[in-house]
Amino acid sequence: MATENISTFPNGLAIDMEERANPLEDLDTVVALYQPRVFRFLLANLRDRDAAETLTQETFLRAWTARDSFREDCAVGTWLIRIALNLARDHTRTGRFRFWKNAAVHSVDAADVASFVPSSEVSSESRLIAQQQVAAIWQTVAGLSQRQRTIFLLRFLEEMDIPEIAATTGLPLGTVKSHLYRALNVVRAHHLNQAKEQK
Amino acid sequence: MNINQSPKIVPISSGHLTEVQFGELLDGTKDNVVNKTDRALSPAEEHLLTCAQCATELATLREALVLFREVSTAYAESELRNIPRVELPARRARMFTLRPAYFAAAAALLLASFIPIQMLHQRAQKAAQQAASATAATNFERYASESNEALLDDVNNAASASVPDSMQALADPMGTNDLSVQKSNQRKD
Repeated sequence: MATENISTFPNGLAIDMEERANPLEDLDTVVALYQPRVFRFLLANLRDRDAAETLTQETFLRAWTARDSFREDCAVGTWLIRIALNLARDHTRTGRFRFWKNAAVHSVDAADVASFVPSSEVSSESRLIAQQQVAAIWQTVAGLSQRQRTIFLLRFLEEMDIPEIAATTGLPLGTVKSHLYRALNVVRAHHLNQAKEQK
Repeated sequence: MNINQSPKIVPISSGHLTEVQFGELLDGTKDNVVNKTDRALSPAEEHLLTCAQCATELATLREALVLFREVSTAYAESELRNIPRVELPARRARMFTLRPAYFAAAAALLLASFIPIQMLHQRAQKAAQQAASATAATNFERYASESNEALLDDVNNAASASVPDSMQALADPMGTNDLSVQKSNQRKD
């Protein structure tokens, strides 16, 4: 691996012969690969289409500007999500976000999301149940605290494992786990409640 | 407590999974994946084998979470289709770096539009000055010629005025006046 690229000179100086190209230099590829993922995370986190679009743009601009600081200690996707998360945090602190959140003008409707349940469900009844389940989870996640929501989405939307989430959020492993389990507990309670209502 | 009667989570002390156990199983990270061949079952996994209620609940919630991811992804993809592709930061960055050049170009353009106006203004001013000086010169010439004529008239008037008797001799110092010559001749005779 790394030893293949290292040549030892007679004076004993080891030099990395092959300068590893920064993957962020090929921005077209990075955008093509990661824009859907970054946008999906921001959309689910902020539940605001316009804000998600703007911050997705901003994420790639920041990544490009700071590409020299990318040390490949994590995957490009993880690094981009970390930038997006910081931007989302800054965004939610602004008064303008609170205003539009209250106005709910640009907010995503859970029913709209649920309508994307695949039509492969065996019957219209099971499809309807699936839609209700998704809408309920979407609404429940929206009601979580900012930190719980972020960790929940990183785990179940972005499919990151616990150490990756800890690296992305800068939180200790134990904190990540406890927030994740609390979030799951809330989702589980709502899920049970819904199941009871359906019966 | 019957799990169907309340949405509250039932602790393991009542015979079901705890919040943490449920979370660990639902989390499904590598360490939590049930793999009977590699390791012994955890107490939570053992409980699932005997408790259909917890097993069903876990399975349905896991399915719902998978569906949540699929649907959210599909929704985001559909929304992304209506959104223009991310503008290349390279181009934007280049635009930022070229911003001083844009300012310089704008300043040059402004200067270029200002200079002809200024030149036109100066030309008009010059023409006005020339016209004014020409008028002044004409006036001066007219005044000068008029004053010269007046002076000449005065001189002529003064020259043609009658000389008093007492000043007659001075008026004709060469003796061209016959009368005075005759008188002096008579006195000699």
